[in-house]
Amino acid sequence: MSNILQVIIVGILVGGLYGLVGLGFGLIQGVMRFVNIAQGSFIILGGFICYWAVTLLHIDPYLSIPLVMLVMFIVGVITYQLLFSPLLKYPKAEMRLDKSLLLTFGAVWIIDNLETLFWTPNSRAVITSYGGKTVNIFGAAVSYTGLIGMGLAILTAAILHIILTRTYFGKHVRAATEDAGAASLSGVNVQLTYMISCGIAVALAGLAGVVVVTNYSITPGGGIAWLLTSMVVVTLAGTDNMNFMIPAGIILGVVQSVSTLLVNPAYQQPIALIIFLLIIMFRPQGLFSRGKRLA
Amino acid sequence: MIGINWKTISISGLVLAIMIFVPLFINLGTGIMNQLVTLLIYILLAQSWNLIGGYTGQINLGIAAFFGCSVMVTHFIWVTGIPIVICVLVGSLSAIILAALIGIPTLRLKGMYFAVGTLALAQALQVIMQNIFNRSITTRGDYVQSYNIDYRYYLGLVLVVIVLIAIYYIRRSKLGQALVAIRDEEQAAQVMGVNTFKYKVISLLISAFIAGLAGGLYAYFRLYFYYTGDIFGLNWTFSAVIAVIIGGGGTLLGPVLGSIFLVILGYIFSLTLGQANLIVFGFLFIIVMLFLPQGLMGGVDLIRPWLSRWGKRSANKI
Repeated sequence: MSNILQVIIVGILVGGLYGLVGLGFGLIQGVMRFVNIAQGSFIILGGFICYWAVTLLHIDPYLSIPLVMLVMFIVGVITYQLLFSPLLKYPKAEMRLDKSLLLTFGAVWIIDNLETLFWTPNSRAVITSYGGKTVNIFGAAVSYTGLIGMGLAILTAAILHIILTRTYFGKHVRAATEDAGAASLSGVNVQLTYMISCGIAVALAGLAGVVVVTNYSITPGGGIAWLLTSMVVVTLAGTDNMNFMIPAGIILGVVQSVSTLLVNPAYQQPIALIIFLLIIMFRPQGLFSRGKRLA
Repeated sequence: MIGINWKTISISGLVLAIMIFVPLFINLGTGIMNQLVTLLIYILLAQSWNLIGGYTGQINLGIAAFFGCSVMVTHFIWVTGIPIVICVLVGSLSAIILAALIGIPTLRLKGMYFAVGTLALAQALQVIMQNIFNRSITTRGDYVQSYNIDYRYYLGLVLVVIVLIAIYYIRRSKLGQALVAIRDEEQAAQVMGVNTFKYKVISLLISAFIAGLAGGLYAYFRLYFYYTGDIFGLNWTFSAVIAVIIGGGGTLLGPVLGSIFLVILGYIFSLTLGQANLIVFGFLFIIVMLFLPQGLMGGVDLIRPWLSRWGKRSANKI
């Protein structure tokens, strides 16, 4: 019994991270209709920057978050300028989507191999003094780092929700999402809005990278696994549903975590694939989708 | 519709004759023969991706799944002593089954679902196979003793020629017209009465079969697999995609040109740049995608009017 409770609580904590991973991917996909295959590699890159901040500057990994997010924001802006903005000249949304898939697939190749050059193919992790400590919740042991990750995920989702619904920038984002042409005619700088959204999305990947490097370990080729997780989360939540990324992540996390009771823990990716196939066969609009809505 | 172009036929016949007879009479050495077999594998993979990505316009990011599935099936059937040609065919059929499994749910929907599904399939298979075969896969001793690279080369050459002819005729058949219509404007094709879902699935199945042929050739070429995950690795998908994009998608010769480019450049870069050689391909890929969307074949078309104008001017001068 306590075993099952433990597994479910671990699943919820992992699910918070999955939701955070899905937020960045969903932002680019929802706002710009681009698919960023490199999102997983950006997560790993964020983790490596955090690793560098910890080993070179000797600071706490969670204090490096502003630095990591700033660097990743700049990376996101550069990515937008180099890869996404040339695609805006294609009139059809499908064509943009296909081209962005291929372009960012090439970016995955570059980023993964650059990471291998800089940090060697070894697996890296940041180990803090409180890393192994746990707290008891209803008899289940929960690690501090997992709780911090969950808290960061919920905080980020809340901040993103407030930005998208309560600020002028959020209004611009929603307008550009609905109809880029009309938004441009009413005085919204669509290019700038896209650029900042892309920067925010990649900065979110950096934040997720910090959580990953403190809870698990990272290897240069490991981005694809996180990418698939984020894609499954976005498919579960429905592509335009930024509000339900965290619940969708928690569902995926709990399912994967409970499945470890039955099958080898190594088979979590095949389980994610099965969930993905079931979702697109029976409810392709996502579990929580009620209509076309963002934020 | 198919006008017999004697110039094309004679040139391709000449190239084929060179490919057949040069290794027979001149000893090229194992190094070059290995590169040539690798080139043939890349051409098969690139043509497989070209059919689904270049002609049909569906982005497949998991060709490594079909390739790897066929490698494993071919290898384990071949070890029991069945002739290699049958093994390659059975391996390719297993790739078709896998393709149907992933293609039928995902191709129904538009957008990223097909790309995601195939990518996830390759990753899932990689994880499963690494866990089942966590030691290197070996083969029978007598196969190692009787290893001859020439057999691999000629099997590969036969497969490549068959695949090229097949794709040439597919492009000119009703199926090919439907595929190009789906790529150019799916909605319009549907309105005109093309069953887009059916044709997309057919295209994927043929594409998976060709990827399976490449996998069978690879299993015949490499007897040992030290690390099973490599067979399902991202680099196979990337090689296929980059060969098609650099050569020019949706053309018959583009992927062949791209594969030749890839093998020669890979050989040069891996000798001179060391670890950084893979990054160069990534940059090359992005640059070609952005500035030369039709690839090298499109580049030829760009230069051709310029060349003819230049030719005329010089003729006028004379």
